[in-house]
Amino acid sequence: MPALQHICEWIYTTHLSTSIRQSPYSFPAIETIHTLGIAAVVGTIAILDLRLLGLIMKKEPVSRIARQLLPWTWAGFAVMFVTGVLLWIAESQTSYSNWAFRTKMVLLLLVGINPLIFHLTIYREVNTWDLANVTPRRARFAAVSSLVLWASIIVFGRLIAYVNT
Amino acid sequence: MRFLVALSHWLGQTHLGVFIRDSSYAFAAIEMLHLLALAIFGGSIILVDLRFLNLGFKTQTAPAVARELLPLTIGGVIAMAISGVLMYAGGPMRYFHNPAFQLKMVLFVIALAIHFPLQMVAARSLEVAPARQRLFQAAAVTSLLLWFAIGFSGRVIGYL
Repeated sequence: MPALQHICEWIYTTHLSTSIRQSPYSFPAIETIHTLGIAAVVGTIAILDLRLLGLIMKKEPVSRIARQLLPWTWAGFAVMFVTGVLLWIAESQTSYSNWAFRTKMVLLLLVGINPLIFHLTIYREVNTWDLANVTPRRARFAAVSSLVLWASIIVFGRLIAYVNT
Repeated sequence: MRFLVALSHWLGQTHLGVFIRDSSYAFAAIEMLHLLALAIFGGSIILVDLRFLNLGFKTQTAPAVARELLPLTIGGVIAMAISGVLMYAGGPMRYFHNPAFQLKMVLFVIALAIHFPLQMVAARSLEVAPARQRLFQAAAVTSLLLWFAIGFSGRVIGYL
């Protein structure tokens, strides 16, 4: 994909990219905020996943937990996304050929498809299993996939820096 | 202080410490576990504190949220402490004199002393008495600020 590579190389030469790279504080500061954003996103998602698996908050209806958590998941996602894009802008050229980065992008795509399928299928009938301690198998499968995918995203995200050096 | 130096030296010389220091992958692997634990721990801490501030999870009482998330915050902090000690064991003296590490440890002890009594007291009660609501809210704000500061100083360790 030379077109994509050219775009990445061009972004690498922009003022924003070089200024993040050249400042001794920008990159680590953005990186820390990115990590804390991940904690908010993955932590809130994990709580819903653990409820779907019947491990916590068993007395609380699933849909109520989902509704209460969602605003904070999105808030964390906004932080994670903006800081993530900034980190990528700073390293776009090296990220392009970094296998950990490429894997992480594929995993992010999958972790986005997962709730899409979940909401379009089994969650439509949530009123029939809202209070169930043990939720339907497909809901539990979605929960396990989500936990595994997010854990892999964190691992590959950290690997990006190890592969770069 | 002398005790801490002696303990650190001993930790660095144990089989585990030497293994982590000499292995090319051990540190990276432990660091990833530390980050995975952070995701669960950080998220649940934020939610417990937000509930005390009446900013989230309002369909459940503050004590119910504190109780239900206690396994996650306590399990998370234990996992982070164990992985943290292992990273430290791979080169104790490198961290011992690192100002960011020193700051992180001081803040960590303070955060432990503020957050966990708060969450455990709440978890045991049926509801937060109106008279104590202000106290709980002040403690929740302090707890949030402390954990964020710990996250930041943790990242700075690697840059000093």
